[in-house]
Amino acid sequence: MKRVIVCYKWVPDGADIRIDERTRTLAMDGVSWTLNDFDRNAIEAGVQIKAATGCDLIGVTAGVDTEASGKDALSRGLDSLYYLSDQAMADADSRTTSEVLAGMIGRLGGADLVICSEASDDEYAQQTGPRLAALLGYSSVTCVSALSPSGESLSASRKLEEGVEDVEIAGPAVVSVVPDINQPPFPSVKQILGAKKKPSQAVALAEVVGDMDRIRPQLRTDSLLAPEVSRKRVSLSAGGVGAADAVAGLLKALAAEGVL
Amino acid sequence: MSDYDVIVVGAGVAGATSAYCLAKGGLSVLLLDRGDAAGAKNVTGGRLYAHSLERVMPGFAGRAPVERRVTRETISLMTADSSVTIDFQKPGGMSDPASASYTVLRAEFDAWLAGEAEKAGCDLVCPAHVDRLLKDNGRIAGVVAGDDTLTADAVVLADGINSLLARQEGLKPELSAHAVAVGCKEIIELPERVINDRFNLAEGEGAARLFAGAPSGGLVGGGFLYTNKTSLSLGLVVTVEGLARSRTRLPDMFEAFKKHPAVAPLIEGGALLEYSAHLVPEGGLKTIPDLVSDNILIVGDAANLCLNLGYTVRGMDFAIASGQMAAETLIEAKNNGGDYSKGVLDGYWRRMEDSFVLKDMKTYKNAPEFIERPGTYNVYPELMDGIFSDLFTITGEPAVLARKKIWPRLRKAGMGGLAMDLLKGGNAI
Repeated sequence: MKRVIVCYKWVPDGADIRIDERTRTLAMDGVSWTLNDFDRNAIEAGVQIKAATGCDLIGVTAGVDTEASGKDALSRGLDSLYYLSDQAMADADSRTTSEVLAGMIGRLGGADLVICSEASDDEYAQQTGPRLAALLGYSSVTCVSALSPSGESLSASRKLEEGVEDVEIAGPAVVSVVPDINQPPFPSVKQILGAKKKPSQAVALAEVVGDMDRIRPQLRTDSLLAPEVSRKRVSLSAGGVGAADAVAGLLKALAAEGVL
Repeated sequence: MSDYDVIVVGAGVAGATSAYCLAKGGLSVLLLDRGDAAGAKNVTGGRLYAHSLERVMPGFAGRAPVERRVTRETISLMTADSSVTIDFQKPGGMSDPASASYTVLRAEFDAWLAGEAEKAGCDLVCPAHVDRLLKDNGRIAGVVAGDDTLTADAVVLADGINSLLARQEGLKPELSAHAVAVGCKEIIELPERVINDRFNLAEGEGAARLFAGAPSGGLVGGGFLYTNKTSLSLGLVVTVEGLARSRTRLPDMFEAFKKHPAVAPLIEGGALLEYSAHLVPEGGLKTIPDLVSDNILIVGDAANLCLNLGYTVRGMDFAIASGQMAAETLIEAKNNGGDYSKGVLDGYWRRMEDSFVLKDMKTYKNAPEFIERPGTYNVYPELMDGIFSDLFTITGEPAVLARKKIWPRLRKAGMGGLAMDLLKGGNAI
């Protein structure tokens, strides 16, 4: 195991996204960007492989303003970063992303192992890992809940609906890991400080994709709305109604709903 | 050889200013904060008097994420259903940078300030939780954060009112319920136009409103409201001692405050964005701990630098100035051979004494007691309500001269106490 690559995504921070209650649309203004939550597990899985094998651990990401992700990603234990930042990635679907990532990994000369997480916070398409494997010609192993090197190959456990499947992986592979695989620690102060000194290299879209048609998104989002809130929004104590009257009103309302 | 010349713990306005000045002065600095981002955990009522940061970064308001320049000040005395307000507006007079004040939201403002410190060359790490100070042969030699040991020749404590590190070090006593207040605050979103119309403000202008009396249920404390660009900072501060004896909880007081007829229309239709609560040092000069020891300085809220006069509430301008003076002292120490012993760092206290920080704290040393006089919170609001109700109520009954109406009310409020309050208040503020 000489080179392990972890792919991660730089996504809008879900905690900052607000929902307009009237239109149910998502307000994205002022939203900060963050490392995809599940990818912290992917990076930590890579860090553990590195600890066991001494491999070179490279982070690869493609998206918009991904340069800003370096500090966080590198502080989690990656040795170096290879990133692509292009506005064209704003509408990327899983096909686009995996084509671009495959191009980047190709330029790096491939890897013995590529680690992804199962999905991203923003799209949750669960496709990038398997697609990447197909494009690179590597084996694809999904739902990985345990991963450890054994000699030249890898042992992995796959968490499936009805049980756990243990597999041996020989040759280059793309694994996608589930959050159960580990508990990523918070980076320490020294790791955060050390991240600044780690090498990171940018690559342009044109350098990794020859034919732009191959990365044109095929999936268009027509509508994205928050689930409808089914509350009645009745306030029984509004306007200075006393507790006794409010309770009476509540009982009446519950009776009218058939709850009582 | 230490990792850094100075480690600053806490990236609020005091810590970030200190780190900025230290980095500008050529020292190697590490700024640590426990929030996910600098400012993430910090709370203010909402107004920054600009003068002290203006001295550090001239023209900062043009670059910083300030919300509005305050041009309108009001103070209201409230009973449960009435409000008497003094309203002061002078947009032109509050416009020069040294006398201006701005409403701010700390999450944005502190992140910006820490960013400036980073640009000046300081290392910023957050989240970083400092567990204790590092000791080497009894001397402070840095900090311990989790598994990390980070060494420095000096440490600046800017870790806020609770300053656990200062307490561990025996520099600061346990907080006394008498000397702290607790504040809660909601940020309520409203369109910019609505705020301008409701508060009679031109674009970019802001209002600062203080409320005394009913909001704190007669306890020592008061409400505040600051207008941001597209939100209001509405809050209530009550002394911990008062709350401990009160049967009403702060959140319930706050809900009642929001429903007060003088407040409800101001926040009508607004959406709640954020809720926060925080302790406020209100003990004044007497509660300022030792701010200097070997290899360590204390700044900002950790140093209890806060002044509440009832009509103005200040903390951030002191914090910024203390951060700057701590930095100046440390830069001087570094340039004079790197001696950071107490004798050298005492220069920080002398600088503070020569500056407005300790001068103002001394000038208003009796303000905390005056602020705590009970009359302020129940007698005077009732008195004002009575006087103005008399003046403005016409019922068709034969009229009585205003002075004849006012005298009995003054007598009822207690002329002796009133005179004492006027006298003591006049002396205190």
